[in-house]
Amino acid sequence: MYNREGSDKPLSSPIDKGIFEDEALQLIWETREKGEVKLEDVIKELGNRSAIEEMERDGLIKIKEEKVYFAEEGEKRARDITRRHRLAERLFVDVLDLTEFESDACKIEHAISTEVEEAICTFLGHPPSCPHGKPIPRGRCCATYTQKVRPLVQRVTDITVGKLARVVFIAGTIMERLSSIGLVPGAIIKLQQKSPSYIIGIEEMTIAIDEEMARGIFVRVI
Amino acid sequence: MHEHKVKKIKGQHERVILVGNPNVGKSAIFGLLTGKYATVSNYPGTTVEVSYGNMSLDGKRLLVVDTPGVNNLIPMSEDEKVTRDILLIERPVAVIQVSDAKNLKRTLMLTLQLGEMGVPLVLNLNMEDEARDRGLTIDTRKLEEILGIKTILTIATQKKGINHLRESIHVPKIPVTKIDYDPVIEDQIEKISALLPEANISRHSIALMVLSGDESLKEWLNAHMKEEDIERLEQIKDETQARFPAPISYLINQARIRVAENIANMVLKKSLPKGGNISALIGRISMHPVWGIPFLLLVLYGIYQFVGIFGAGTLVDLLEETVFGKYLNPWAVKIVKTLIPVPILQELLVGEYGIFTMALTYAIGIILPITTTFFIAFAILEDSGYLPRLAIMANRIFNVMGLNGKAVLPMVLGLGCDTMATMTTRILETRRERIITTFLLALAIPCSAQLGVILGMLAPISGKATVIWAGSVFATMLFAGFLASKVVPGEKADFFLEIPPIRLPQAMNVIVKTVGRVEWYLKEAVPLFILGTLVLFVLNKLDLLIYLERIASPVVVEFLGLPAKTTEAFILGFLRRDYGAAGLLALSRGGMLSPLQVVVSLVTITLFVPCLANFLMIIKEQGMKVALLMAGIIFPFAFLVGGVLNFVLRTLEIQF
Repeated sequence: MYNREGSDKPLSSPIDKGIFEDEALQLIWETREKGEVKLEDVIKELGNRSAIEEMERDGLIKIKEEKVYFAEEGEKRARDITRRHRLAERLFVDVLDLTEFESDACKIEHAISTEVEEAICTFLGHPPSCPHGKPIPRGRCCATYTQKVRPLVQRVTDITVGKLARVVFIAGTIMERLSSIGLVPGAIIKLQQKSPSYIIGIEEMTIAIDEEMARGIFVRVI
Repeated sequence: MHEHKVKKIKGQHERVILVGNPNVGKSAIFGLLTGKYATVSNYPGTTVEVSYGNMSLDGKRLLVVDTPGVNNLIPMSEDEKVTRDILLIERPVAVIQVSDAKNLKRTLMLTLQLGEMGVPLVLNLNMEDEARDRGLTIDTRKLEEILGIKTILTIATQKKGINHLRESIHVPKIPVTKIDYDPVIEDQIEKISALLPEANISRHSIALMVLSGDESLKEWLNAHMKEEDIERLEQIKDETQARFPAPISYLINQARIRVAENIANMVLKKSLPKGGNISALIGRISMHPVWGIPFLLLVLYGIYQFVGIFGAGTLVDLLEETVFGKYLNPWAVKIVKTLIPVPILQELLVGEYGIFTMALTYAIGIILPITTTFFIAFAILEDSGYLPRLAIMANRIFNVMGLNGKAVLPMVLGLGCDTMATMTTRILETRRERIITTFLLALAIPCSAQLGVILGMLAPISGKATVIWAGSVFATMLFAGFLASKVVPGEKADFFLEIPPIRLPQAMNVIVKTVGRVEWYLKEAVPLFILGTLVLFVLNKLDLLIYLERIASPVVVEFLGLPAKTTEAFILGFLRRDYGAAGLLALSRGGMLSPLQVVVSLVTITLFVPCLANFLMIIKEQGMKVALLMAGIIFPFAFLVGGVLNFVLRTLEIQF
């Protein structure tokens, strides 16, 4: 994304350097999710060996036997940047209904503050994964689960009875069972009752589930 | 762990297996194909046992197998496992997938799985009338083209389309289904398939089960594969799962749903549904957070009027007092006395503890009318689709006992017969729920016969007595359930229940079902009644009865404050609780029990040990250890509650 032309000069401006580091850290994080991170691949992707070596000197990463590992500070930054990137993707897909979002997500990840990040996360209802299915690293706000902003993507338990809603995602182990009757992301459901149990209509079926299960179904009201 | 192993079906005839989602009418179709009755109801999961029946097709005999409903062939509960295992072991000439025409997508998800298994299939779209009422039309010709199998529309309740279905058994075909899974998953399927042995269903489908982490498959794998190969399977599964953030079973389901949705979109036409449906209105009211409660009370009142007043009152009076008391018993006494001159035999047949005067009078004069009216009421409830709605209303209360609303079906059925209900606990998903429900059934749920006798005894005293009895039993159940939920290990199960539409019960089905259940009940009850009477007769003859009464008197007389003769009723209660209650009824009619004693003795006998048949069923379902443990807890517990109640009522000087 940045400086792919293969120049091998040190990065002069501090802003450029910051962005390069973010890109590199995110790349390493993503590669690590699939397995080990080879230095050769990182250099090939980012095209700037000396800048990477500088990151090692700055204590962000460690390079051992041609493989790249995170140093403590680097790992924390990588986690944050990945989280922001994936939250941005979720925002674009779930709320804004965009299909081309990758490059904007890359830009937004450098630009937002922790406050904004937490607000988006809460707005989306603390989603567990990005649209590609990769996990979103949890943030502080996810742990406390405060819902000060009423999210557009909400739990079924938070929508009004009688509303039609499209399922956005389903968290936890219940999705296996729900998917066997066709209740999956994309399905349209109608919340018929909240008490004494949650009654949900899907196509020509009606199912009853308890609150605990209903809390795991995230929808967007349509 | 007490497992229900599915064994290969014996017999030479070729097999036709019925498979389908819950509550789509498999048992109704089974009945139409074989002429044999299997319990049909409007409650998902009624079939917990596999039924077999014969049909002849152009002079050839076929064995038809009815299976418990499945949502997925990767089992989530024990009854789903039964169905999957049948497909795994049997090699049928045809599988008929019975389905609900109005839920095509869901139907197709199962069709796709059966296609992956490679079984010869016919697709039966049942309840075509309900689909039409909702404005849904299915282009079956196109569906046949896409799937490459015969697709037959039927309305089982009106016997429509059955002949077509019979004919289609001649031409089952393996459905053409191509599902594209993630390339990584496809690779792993190949790897796993290479390790698997030859089976009756495709290796591909077994590989998918392995990847889904299907624990219930272990048994089969252990029987057919070497240990190191199974370990290798586990390894591949774990490796694969590590590469995906979501459970693989979910990804697999998602891929199937996509295909099912595409097909459904191609063949389904929607128009405006017929409006203003009264049954839909009843359906909504009956589970409404506010209106649901008066509706429930109305239903209970109706049942009370029919079973309690009409069955236990009018019919019992007619049969017991008039038919038996005035005619049959005096005749029997006369006939026996003239024909058999041996006094001891006379006494055995028509004496105080006589087989005719006691056992048969109880069985036919008291128990039969109550049981019959209860089972009629239950069948109507079941077929109307009200029971799942009751489950919703009761969910919260059941949570206190570590159960969820799903346990309502066995619990309500227990009011008919605890033994039957104990078997039905199989519809519950976890062993923990099954054990708690079985325990509570054995402890606190009086069966219809017992209930009828109890209500018959309480009614003449006062409403207050009935409320105290019901309150004590209910409180005991909640308390015992609460304790059990703390003690029995395991996790709380999710509450997930499909709500079928409200339907008008069909008289014929209600009758057939009631007759079946009453027959079952009598076969189980009458021999025990006779046995119980014999035991009493022998004890009485040998003067052991007085001896037993003396032994039990510290508990019965002092702790419970009851006359010594009630010991007889408790002895009968070991064989059947309802018989014990009937014994109490006789005492109370003889003016030997005060109202307070009636209430205390009834609470005690209600909680008393499960009857012999129920006990045997608990052993069958849960094993000897659990059964003995339960009986060991329940027996002292019943007396403890009775004693405490006696103390409280006397201390507070409650008047009835």
